Amino acid sequence: MEPHQVKVNGVPRVLAAGPQVSLLDWLRGQGLTGAKEGCAEGECGACAVLVARADGPDRTRWTAVNSCLPPALAFDGGEVVTSEGFGRAPGACTAEELHPVQREMADRGGSQCGYCTPGFVCAMAAEYYRPERRPVAAGEPAPDQGPNGFDLHALSGNLCRCTGYRPIRDAAYALGAPADGDQLAARREAPAPTVRLTRFVSERAEFIRPGTLQELLDRLEQEPDAVLVAGATDVGVERNLRHSRPRLVLAIDRMEELRRLDVGTDYVDIGAALTLTEVEQGLGGRVPLLNKLFPQFASRLIRNSATLGGNLGTGSPIGDAAPVLLALDATLVLTSRRGDRPVALADYFTGYRRSVREPDEIIRAVRLPLPLAPSTAFHKVAKRRFDDISSVAVAFAARFDGAVLTELKIGLGGVAATPLRARAAEDALTGTELTAESAAEAAGILAGEGTPMDDHRASARYRTAMLEQAMLRFYAESAPELEVIR
Amino acid sequence: MRVQQPAATGLDLERVDGRAKVLGLAPYAYEHPAENPTYLYPVQSTIARGRITAIDTAAAETMDGVVAVLTHLNAPRLADAADKELAVLQSDEVGFRGQFVAAVVADSPEAAREAAARVRVQYHQEPHHAALRADHEDLYKPEQINAGLETDTQAGDPDAALASAAVVVDRTYTTPAEHNNPMEPHTTVAQWEGDRLLVFDSTQAVHNARKTLAPLFDVEVEQIRVVAPHVGGGFGSKGLPHAHVVLTALAAKVTGGRPVKYALTRQQMFFLAGYRTPTIQRLQLGASPDGRISVLTHDVVEQTSAIKEFAEQTAGISRMMYSADHRRTTHRLASLDVPVPSWMRAPGECPGSFGLEVAMDELAEACGIDPIELRVRNEPAIDPETGKPFASRHLLACLREGARRFGWERRNAQPGTVLVDGWRTGIGVAASTYPARRQPANTARIRFTADGFYEVQIGAVDLGTGAWTALTQIAAEALECGPEQVRLQIGDTDLPVATVAGGSSGTASWGSAIIGAAQMFRKEHGGFPSAGDTSEGDGERNPAGKNYALHSFGAQFAEVQVHADTGEIRVSRMLGVYSAGRIINPRTARSQFLGGMTMGIGMALHEQSVMDERFGMIVNHDFADYHVPSNADIRQLEAFWLEEVDEHAGPLGARGIGEIGIVGAAAAVANAAYNATGIRVRDLPLTADKFLT
Ligand SMILES: Cc1cc2nc3c(=O)[nH]c(=O)nc-3n(C[C@H](O)[C@H](O)[C@H](O)COP(=O)(O)OP(=O)(O)OC[C@H]3O[C@@H](n4cnc5c(N)ncnc54)[C@H](O)[C@@H]3O)c2cc1C
Ligand code: FES
Ligand code: FES
Repeated sequence: MEPHQVKVNGVPRVLAAGPQVSLLDWLRGQGLTGAKEGCAEGECGACAVLVARADGPDRTRWTAVNSCLPPALAFDGGEVVTSEGFGRAPGACTAEELHPVQREMADRGGSQCGYCTPGFVCAMAAEYYRPERRPVAAGEPAPDQGPNGFDLHALSGNLCRCTGYRPIRDAAYALGAPADGDQLAARREAPAPTVRLTRFVSERAEFIRPGTLQELLDRLEQEPDAVLVAGATDVGVERNLRHSRPRLVLAIDRMEELRRLDVGTDYVDIGAALTLTEVEQGLGGRVPLLNKLFPQFASRLIRNSATLGGNLGTGSPIGDAAPVLLALDATLVLTSRRGDRPVALADYFTGYRRSVREPDEIIRAVRLPLPLAPSTAFHKVAKRRFDDISSVAVAFAARFDGAVLTELKIGLGGVAATPLRARAAEDALTGTELTAESAAEAAGILAGEGTPMDDHRASARYRTAMLEQAMLRFYAESAPELEVIR
Repeated sequence: MRVQQPAATGLDLERVDGRAKVLGLAPYAYEHPAENPTYLYPVQSTIARGRITAIDTAAAETMDGVVAVLTHLNAPRLADAADKELAVLQSDEVGFRGQFVAAVVADSPEAAREAAARVRVQYHQEPHHAALRADHEDLYKPEQINAGLETDTQAGDPDAALASAAVVVDRTYTTPAEHNNPMEPHTTVAQWEGDRLLVFDSTQAVHNARKTLAPLFDVEVEQIRVVAPHVGGGFGSKGLPHAHVVLTALAAKVTGGRPVKYALTRQQMFFLAGYRTPTIQRLQLGASPDGRISVLTHDVVEQTSAIKEFAEQTAGISRMMYSADHRRTTHRLASLDVPVPSWMRAPGECPGSFGLEVAMDELAEACGIDPIELRVRNEPAIDPETGKPFASRHLLACLREGARRFGWERRNAQPGTVLVDGWRTGIGVAASTYPARRQPANTARIRFTADGFYEVQIGAVDLGTGAWTALTQIAAEALECGPEQVRLQIGDTDLPVATVAGGSSGTASWGSAIIGAAQMFRKEHGGFPSAGDTSEGDGERNPAGKNYALHSFGAQFAEVQVHADTGEIRVSRMLGVYSAGRIINPRTARSQFLGGMTMGIGMALHEQSVMDERFGMIVNHDFADYHVPSNADIRQLEAFWLEEVDEHAGPLGARGIGEIGIVGAAAAVANAAYNATGIRVRDLPLTADKFLT
């Protein structure tokens, strides 16, 4: 078998490292110290690099990811660009010139101590090369966008302690379009690197990328302790902070069977191993409630790796996907050698980080029944505006007949040991007319659901108050339409 | 004193280190080539106070790749163990949770970490105190406070004056512990060659670092070389060497000459790299009905670690900011079993300005006077504490300029009256100040090279402040040559001695030495030097300090939105106007001001290190839970400065800009939040739950 290999900045490098070595540590071990470690848990973006990802069958998209989280082996056969790789081939510039992103960052004082800079450069470059980026027409509303169509959310996963961000934003908004002859731009027009079925076996650990779902399920049945790795945004944190060292790692992030997006007449199936960014792009706004979730879920860097399968796979009570999917009445399609087993998400969680999923089962897809309830809302209360874990998350999906609520589903996160449906509030309102009074009454009921805790993120009292507020806001947002109906 | 005419300084020169940094090629401490290195991973105490009764290192020692396992039982002895923060592995005592109790050195980081996890430590636990309280039983008065200031000051009869004042504001304000969190984790790479020690360190002061290390290892300072060409931020935490520097150098004694590399993890930084003490500040302002302050008292309770004293000069700001005939400032310390607090951006002025400037806002309201007008009415003619005239005091000009630019006239004096799309909106102001310090004991050397460049050498450090650029400009101006003709060398103890990059003193102090050297160079070698011509020059203590009070001033304006239902709070606009003497480079200066203001927004909204006193544990010890501001928190942010040259601030006419941007920023936000909501929050940070009534 060929040695494991990653093309970094256009040059193939042999990859001889076990699954415990992150892409970041491997790159730095290669002497490419542009990418830095600032936190080792996906929060700061100092480690951001560009990776070549498929953009349909024929094209490639430069995608920025946190290199501190995924194992380097996950990039076997792949292409990576670091800050060092921009100024020279295969970058767009002659040897003397800086890449336009680097030029603007240097020019506008976007770099002070410089430690965050390579990560910002990579995150900014991904947005620079985003094929959909177009200058904003005069008068067109473009929140959080520069006149050049630069989406500021692209930088939501990068922290800088020195500059106050203003000079960095100035740099981002000054960028033009890639020039003719820009090799990274040209690279987008060819297919992404083909996925290699990596097999790394050492005395202490194994890293396998199964070629088929069947092979994956076979391995999982034999070794139920194996750790699945999709985007590694949780697994990587476990490795770095809690020093978890699984014996067997099974990579599922490129597995075709888990990466389908099927929009049928009765349901939408979202592959569990699609990244949130891919889901967002693939759905193109067809599930409005998910569109309300995405911008509030971590950062762009994280969403470029994180999957729904991973978010539900951990069973965390504060995951943001669960409340939204509960409101959408989602079903999880679990699969094992015994075949598919659909389980309603509302029945999936059984306790703190526990679920009905058997050790040999994986989440294959998330199924959303159609038609979708037309009125939706998502309220996430966190301490920081973006890139923060929820104190409380509440999702609503409702259907009205006139002013009467014929259907209402409310998903809650952060208020109990598991995500849950707010059945009592749902029952109180379903079949009734939504009015200021009924909303206020339901708000009281909603506030009583769950068993919120005090912690350093928020007090139980505050969490309870937020539940109440979420209901009142849902009413306030629906009120104008109801007014018209009345 | 002659003030240099702006030539190369004041130019909008791009950062000279910008290119290396955007390419990721500038080497930080961890990234210098090291031959056959070893890696260190520590074991930290899991109790807050007590003694180690047993350490089992057997399992760790037998692991593949392990070079050594150090504990207090086998670690080389330090020659001087008086500083208990630095006396690592010298005794069985544990003074705080998270302290180093052992360390593994191994061939790979993975092996070091794995072995460290197998070290078993047993303790005899003793009762501890880890929470700061105003009524802590053993509060004590330190000898002096940070920066060598007097602990307490008093003028007139404050208590009597308070009793007779027409209007009194008597309130207590608190600021939590905060961590500097520079983006580059603290890093040390140490290697002994015989009795010579080479250290690559993320430090703000190479010469100070070796001066601290030399007596510990019983060597002369010349035997230690500390190198730090690029440092990824510090904000004070890299100003003084912390325990990990000593630990790494100690470990390097047992590796047979192999280098030892150690970068603290982000988590470890919360215990081992310094932080800002929490403060409890009681402010009493007494004034006449028209807002003239007759009495101002500022009594502070704060913490130190029982193993090493650090006394933040929190009330220092109240000694010089406003005129009041009767004044008192006091500082009392609770000695706790907690990590060692230290410098964090604008120690003293930063937390102190929160208490003072919110109290001023409360006084303005009590008197029914505009907050800016209140400050106008209490502008002192001379420094109230020392009686010296201010060399330059343009606070009112900053306030007026800021008010004009910010649109202060649109402020609605009645709080809680503006509601836009569910958001309560208000604006607020606070004053800012920071002393202009210049450190003596700086020397610069200038050498003319064979290829026609001026090599300018000084052991200064650039931790992101722009020293590479500013000192290049200063040298070019002093030598009357182009910046491209200057080859600056900094960040190495092999270069002439320099003081710390801290206290906003760096540029002015080093710059004075460079100007001195340039003048000497021209005197000795004229305008047409030959290759190898060399001169040295010193910066001297600023003589103006004897006759003048030297401070920078500023005005901070904030617009804040608080969600009426959820209490979520955002700073929608912030603007600062500063008077900081001559600005050497507008581009780097602007970033410094904006960066300070941003850290101030972080202080206002999020930053808080939460102590679980049961365990002496800082619970939110990572970036997931300790929130520094992110891009989305910072919306409209602008910094301006008055065009001025301070003729008393030394040959440069510059006063330093590293700290002033954070001072008063949190108060401006809190005052704006009050204006928005009518809810006065006196305890930082301003979290959403505090606005729900
Ligand atoms: C900086 C940062 C910010 C974050 N912010 C948020 C946030 O705002 N909201 C939020 O909800 N979460 C947040 N997270 C958590 C995280 O991003 C999500 O949980 C993510 O969706 C996990 O997906 P992944 O593909 O990366 O999972 P991985 O890390 O690859 O896997 C996570 C776990 O799920 C298992 N798993 C993965 N795929 C499957 C599958 N198909 N079937 C069964 N088990 C599977 C794995 O074995 C593993 O145990 C954040 C994380 C980080 C690092
Ligand atoms: S190191 Fe901070 S996100 Fe990777
Ligand atoms: S420039 Fe220092 S952290 Fe961004």
